[in-house]
Amino acid sequence: MAGRSNARVPPLSERQWAFLMRVAVRIVPAVADLDAAGRSRFVAIVSKALAERPRPIQHQFGLFLGVLRWAPFLRFGSPFDRLPPEDEDTVLRWFLDAPVAKLRSGFWALRALAFMGYYGQPEVWPSLRYTPSFRGNEMLHG
Amino acid sequence: MLARWGVPGLGHVDLRRRSEKYLGENNVHLLGEETINDNNRRFFEACRTLGYRVEQFPVNVKGCQGSGLCNLGCPNAAKQGTHRVQLPAAEAAGVEVVTNCKVERIGERDCLATVTNPPFGEPSHWPEGRYRIRARAIVVAAGAVNSPALLLRSQLPARLPALGRYFTAHPALILVGEHDRPISNFYGHPKSYYCDHFVESAKFLLETCMYFPFTTAKNLIGFGAEHARLMSRMDRMQMILVLAVDPALAENRIAVDAAGDPVVHYRFTDEVMDALIESQRVAARIFFAAGCTRVHAPAGTGFFIGANEADRLEELITREAFKLGKVSISSAHLMGGCRMGTDPATSVTDAWGQVHGVPWLFVADASLFPMCSEINPYVTIMALADRVAERVRTRLPGLPAA
Repeated sequence: MAGRSNARVPPLSERQWAFLMRVAVRIVPAVADLDAAGRSRFVAIVSKALAERPRPIQHQFGLFLGVLRWAPFLRFGSPFDRLPPEDEDTVLRWFLDAPVAKLRSGFWALRALAFMGYYGQPEVWPSLRYTPSFRGNEMLHG
Repeated sequence: MLARWGVPGLGHVDLRRRSEKYLGENNVHLLGEETINDNNRRFFEACRTLGYRVEQFPVNVKGCQGSGLCNLGCPNAAKQGTHRVQLPAAEAAGVEVVTNCKVERIGERDCLATVTNPPFGEPSHWPEGRYRIRARAIVVAAGAVNSPALLLRSQLPARLPALGRYFTAHPALILVGEHDRPISNFYGHPKSYYCDHFVESAKFLLETCMYFPFTTAKNLIGFGAEHARLMSRMDRMQMILVLAVDPALAENRIAVDAAGDPVVHYRFTDEVMDALIESQRVAARIFFAAGCTRVHAPAGTGFFIGANEADRLEELITREAFKLGKVSISSAHLMGGCRMGTDPATSVTDAWGQVHGVPWLFVADASLFPMCSEINPYVTIMALADRVAERVRTRLPGLPAA
């Protein structure tokens, strides 16, 4: 949990971003329905979170994306992004419960970023039936 | 708790007197029944039904509007924290508060600090740059991670083998139950009750809570359609926060890396893992007694446990399903690292927060805790800081009157 950030270095390449967005849709299906502004907010939130991580963590995350992309080759003969959606989910479920803690942690990080990028947007909260108010007590009593 | 801590010179009567002072200053009181929402009320009633000891939390608010956004900083400035009560009073009494100032190292009665002005927060009224600040006494209050880290970075004229060690974190889980219709949960104060029935027997506490969409999503296991369906009905959620009462172990510690930044080394013991598993079974019983139709447990063998399965919780919530790296375990309260005690081999400060062997250096925050607290630590931290302030005044009689 070192605290040094490296905000000036782009944390992911364009190719890695495209892959991350593809996986994010499996994690939060509604990401596929985001409009351009919503996708832009998604990218901004995730970029900021990644940029604030120490450089070694950014590097590990980039490596994990590579592992996730190519690991399915062993079982399915194709990289992750050429699999049908149901096989993609099979792969992600394996990573969720992977026998190696580092792989579980990598998937935890990816999952957390996808959730952050989507559920961190106040614009989507009404669709979750989550509508907080600064004057909640008034709403509490109708 | 103090008996467990076993710090000679730190007594119940003294700590209670100081705590009561701050309970008054910070307007700590029980909220009226009319402000209790369903999320909290159902927890209380379910605990009573099950025979679990349950108490109402006194809270430090004035003019609470029930935004439920306390964890993000009260938007109505109703939360009476030190930032609204003690710090303004200190400034009015002549204390100079310097914002965006990071202390890098403590030397012989001085410290090296850097002032920066990032584009957020309260701008510093000191120009940007490096400073050497001389002082007759230095009081460190940077929290259980940064206080030990600061002392580790510094060249202190004392050998302190316990520095950074015995760190505890109240490992926490956020648990969710689902009702078959909307309940009031995100309107009103989110945290009104706690259940300490299992602290002695199973080493965990339960508290009411209501978190935000991202925090909630992150704490659910799984992904995809099933996860999204639960998330799409936040108005039906009941939530419970679990805090494990973790042991103070020398190997759980704060260190610093080559750049001087803090690094936390923390190992989950079997005792803590058992507490986190058992807490999910107890929370599930509470959810079902509160009327939930389904419960999501991070150690569940499936995504949901239905009310019709409530008699099979032992087999449906298992240690095998609860894997580190898979589950979101957060830290509710950071404590220890500069623990109080009498022996410099196993503690960092004396019972008044003075660093062993360094008469001008004090610590005044949660890092003083020799072990974790068995409830939220805020008032205890303030009471300990009050003792430190008294000791500093004794050592430095020339200070202006309080």
